[in-house]
Amino acid sequence: MISGSNLEQVLTSGQFTVTGELGPPQNGNFDVVRDKARILKSHVDAVNITDCQTAIVRMSSLTAGLIALAEGVEPVMQMTCRDRNRIGIQSDILGASALGIKNLLCLTGDHQKFGNHPQAKGVFDMDSIQLLGMIKAMRDDKKFQCGDEIKSHEPRLLLGAAANPFADPFEYRPIRVAKKVEAGASFIQTQIIYNVEKFARFMEIVRDLGLHEKVYILAGVTPPKSVGMARYMKKFVPGLDVTDDVIERLKGAKDPKEEGINICVDIIKQVREIPGVAGVHVMAIGWEQAVPEIVSLAGLSPRPGAKTVEPRLRSSESIELIVSNAKKDAKAEIEKALEQAKAEAQASRDLVVKEKVRVTSEISGLKRQAEEAKTIAGQKQTEIERLNAELAKTKAGLGHAQAVRGLAEKRESSALSSRERSALTSLRSGLEALSKGLGINKDQLEALRRFFEAEFLLHMDTAEQVTVPSEETAAPRKEIEKPEAEARHKEVVNLVAKGNVLLHKNDAAGALDAFEKALAIEPKDQKAGEGLKKAREAYEIAAPTEEAAAPAVPEGVPPCPEGLSPEEWQQKRVIRFVARGNVLLHKSDADGALKAFKQALELEPDDKKAKAGLLKAESGEVAPVLVPAEPEVTEKTEVPPTPEPKAAPVTEKVKAEARKVAPAPTEPTGIEGLSVAELPKETMSLSERAGPVPGNQFTESCTGAICEVSLGEGEKALTVGGSSTLPFYMFEGDMPHAPQVAFGILDSEPEDWPDVLSKYYSDVFSDPVAWARKCIDDYGAEAICLSLVSTDPNGMNRPSDEAARKAQSVIEGIDVPVILWGCGNAEKDTETLREVTNLVGNRKVCLGPLSDANYRSLGATAMAFQLPVVASTPIDVNLAKQLNILLENLGLSPDQILMDPSIGAVGYGIEYSYSVMERIRLAALTQQDEKLQVPFICNLGREVWKTKECRLPSDALLGDQERRGVLMEAVTASTLLLAGGELMVMMHPKAIALTEALIRGMMG
Amino acid sequence: MIIADQKPMDEILEMISGIEKLLVLGCRGCVAVCSAGGDKEVGVLASALRLGRKKAGKPIEIDEATYVRQCDPEYLEPLKKDGKKYDAVLSMACGVGVNFIADRCPDVNVLPALNTSFYGANLSSGEWAEMCAGCGACVLHLTGGLCPVARCAKSLSNGPCGGSVGGRCEINKDVPCIWHQICKKLTGRKQDQLLREIVPIRDWRPSGHGGPRRRIREDLLP
Repeated sequence: MISGSNLEQVLTSGQFTVTGELGPPQNGNFDVVRDKARILKSHVDAVNITDCQTAIVRMSSLTAGLIALAEGVEPVMQMTCRDRNRIGIQSDILGASALGIKNLLCLTGDHQKFGNHPQAKGVFDMDSIQLLGMIKAMRDDKKFQCGDEIKSHEPRLLLGAAANPFADPFEYRPIRVAKKVEAGASFIQTQIIYNVEKFARFMEIVRDLGLHEKVYILAGVTPPKSVGMARYMKKFVPGLDVTDDVIERLKGAKDPKEEGINICVDIIKQVREIPGVAGVHVMAIGWEQAVPEIVSLAGLSPRPGAKTVEPRLRSSESIELIVSNAKKDAKAEIEKALEQAKAEAQASRDLVVKEKVRVTSEISGLKRQAEEAKTIAGQKQTEIERLNAELAKTKAGLGHAQAVRGLAEKRESSALSSRERSALTSLRSGLEALSKGLGINKDQLEALRRFFEAEFLLHMDTAEQVTVPSEETAAPRKEIEKPEAEARHKEVVNLVAKGNVLLHKNDAAGALDAFEKALAIEPKDQKAGEGLKKAREAYEIAAPTEEAAAPAVPEGVPPCPEGLSPEEWQQKRVIRFVARGNVLLHKSDADGALKAFKQALELEPDDKKAKAGLLKAESGEVAPVLVPAEPEVTEKTEVPPTPEPKAAPVTEKVKAEARKVAPAPTEPTGIEGLSVAELPKETMSLSERAGPVPGNQFTESCTGAICEVSLGEGEKALTVGGSSTLPFYMFEGDMPHAPQVAFGILDSEPEDWPDVLSKYYSDVFSDPVAWARKCIDDYGAEAICLSLVSTDPNGMNRPSDEAARKAQSVIEGIDVPVILWGCGNAEKDTETLREVTNLVGNRKVCLGPLSDANYRSLGATAMAFQLPVVASTPIDVNLAKQLNILLENLGLSPDQILMDPSIGAVGYGIEYSYSVMERIRLAALTQQDEKLQVPFICNLGREVWKTKECRLPSDALLGDQERRGVLMEAVTASTLLLAGGELMVMMHPKAIALTEALIRGMMG
Repeated sequence: MIIADQKPMDEILEMISGIEKLLVLGCRGCVAVCSAGGDKEVGVLASALRLGRKKAGKPIEIDEATYVRQCDPEYLEPLKKDGKKYDAVLSMACGVGVNFIADRCPDVNVLPALNTSFYGANLSSGEWAEMCAGCGACVLHLTGGLCPVARCAKSLSNGPCGGSVGGRCEINKDVPCIWHQICKKLTGRKQDQLLREIVPIRDWRPSGHGGPRRRIREDLLP
């Protein structure tokens, strides 16, 4: 034995060996390493601890290895030549050896260019082969690299090396393995294998060189997690040969993750057949959970127990403490047990004496009672017969008492509840104990037992006839009724809960509906029944007003959308009509306006604005409508801005801004002078301008329309979409809702925002609620997009429940619509967003991003709570459509979906985004592609502010940094608006103000 | 030859911000050959600086000169006196020239106009590549004349790493893998044995890690 490690023992025993891999975190979190080690424990023989893989700074491999060791997982410490010179390496090796590390994998290391510190000076004092030689000399010759003697305690390490059969030149690769073996490697772990055929050729040369007899070769495997990962590895990881077959298999798979595991297992089975392969090295960094399944499916579990894995890092004080604590505990336990035993003995002695006296006096009485009971049982027999005809047959052959017993057994097997059963059992065991204590003979005991059982059963029968089955007795029965029943029960509970919430919100109609649905599924549900009653009462109170309004609603009105009470819906429609009237008025279409106002008044005869509008329309006044002195909040927010009061202030504001700018500053510095130029008002309609050319020659009306999606609830709710024409082509069709801008905020302090952006929010970075409030109060935000960046497993990795509580506080702390944007890790987002929905209940937050990896789970959540979602796909028309189809198949309606087509900033592929969005929109509007008739959401702020141009400081050539960033964000937004974007997520307040001014101007 | 590259204009302008009289001093050695600091470059840089300062509203007086070499003492002799006439001398020689002026002409405020990069060859007009690292312990006889110290991203001694694909280096597809070429060359010359032998760990002292280097030839000492 070289080091006596578990790995060495398994390798030398000739068993097929399995090693795993553990990537230390990019922080100092002890728990991450421990948890990963626990997942891998006992499923692999040893675990490689990577040394800042891909040159990204992580917890050192030595430290993480020691944490794994403390969990009983044997580490294979990895050591690269990139970050340390020979002094540092030898020093670390001595430390590792002192603390019980027994395996070392010697690598040259990925070039620093690939990592997060490409500016670093790469050390490369030696290469991996020289590293092997140096450590082998320390171990076997007891010499430092310089030749000095290691006087004692030389490091005893089993040395390993890597090999890449897929790198070039192919013929040289086995020779390099030979060099590594000669330098000191006892085992080799290969690069990830997908191309088994090429690996087999490599192994053939290895065998020809006789290397398989000198070194243990472990074939490297990795389960591909998705098609995307496989493609990425094929394209971007040098020296990794991912075959087309693997990509095809993943593409065709229903569950790519499961298929990934299957591919990995297949490869393990194939490489196992290749002579000279001593084991596999399963690399599933970031997906450690898959390893146990892979190992077991490959038929490689259980692993031989790791007896030799013992952490050495314990101080003498801690050992003393452990020993003394154990001593103390043991002593206390013994004493306690002793005392208890004594007390018990005494008690039982007393009991026996007492019982003897009491029981001897009672025994004769009991006997007498038993006789009496027999006769009573006889009498009751007839009643039992009536209740249970079947029993009569059994009864015929047996004596009275036996018949009762038969009944008892039958009941026990079928209808007895667990409570009854346990009562009977305890009765029996009690009697048996009594018989032992009193020396009652068998017959006497039998008689007694029959008596009690009969009594018990008879009592039960009557009880059952009278009482309604209590919840306790009902519950176990349901358990027997299979999962369907369980699901139904769950649904009923959900519906009842929903009903109660709605009731609480005074939405009697909705509540009534929910309770009725619940009762339709489970007619006996008491809570639903009660709820229904309450809802009816509430509804009746609300009804009169509703009835009064009802006749006014003309036939064929759009149905009240779910989640709105009829009153709210009516109010909304009134507002819409008024708005339309105002717009038409503004467009000099007095007739249309007249009609709209009349429609509004039909619905709500008292509406002041409608009346005022009607007057104006009648008088033919077509001047812009002025903002009412006291704008009613409802009006302003309920109807997204197309029309109505906003139309007027728009031009005014734009003008005002233009005026401000008027004394044009000579040098463009800062953001002070930025504004959107006033858009010239077109006074002539298009048909007038076209002159004699007929309208159908120059307009192209669309046959489709985009769905309307509402965000948020109550007065501050927003609606996006609805347009039946290309963006801002108001001369060809209707664009009922102006595009909206949501303020993007983060749930943790941003790490990489340039000062020119963060200065606006730095005072509220630590508190997302205050941040959101600042956006609303100071910058007039009408929607907030909260990015849950802190949950990213590759970053802060904040636990889901903690992040969800933060999100909850934001959602509950503000009243504008909230979009929750996950970190982009499908699994983590599912967990976090579900947690949030659990916490906030029926609050209408928008969830995103849903990808092909998690649309099922999150889609189901969105359906249950009727929440809008963001469907996020890589930039591609077909992928976007496919995800929409999947979501609709799941049961989501198109008016719950916002599309995120993946967008880039100006200069970073925006033309690609533009073209894809344009094609989607044309398909939706002109080709009736219903699956694409969904509004766009563009999360552009984060894209813009990470570009290089926003980070470079102010200089003469590029100009002022802030001005540059603001313009990049605003220009990106305006481009995406023209491509059809309905909802922009942006960050810089000035850029948002510019974009909003542009929208107002365009909406004219 | 030594390859150098002119510093960004902004950096040079910043460097001479307080200066009113400047000498731009070229060198007809390596930097002239690699088109970084010869007569032509001196003229171009001097004009650009005049324009830049004029535009900023702070005109500057600039003289131009080019020496045969700035790394031999005899050529620097005139600068000892002439240099005093200027607020600064902007040297367009490699770092050696700047250092040597600073050593030899203590009264001259010398500034660098170039970033000195590497020892390289002229691949084609306008393109230079690194060929030697000046490591002081040449192994080219073992590697077919191709230098792994200068031309391998990790300065490997024992063959190509696992990132060598299709003859290209993993750090950038535009960079050839020098070990791939070494393998090809040695195999072609039937010198494969060299590829099988383990090259021992290097002594980096001659490459400068043992402190500033100096060369002495006794027979030529004055």
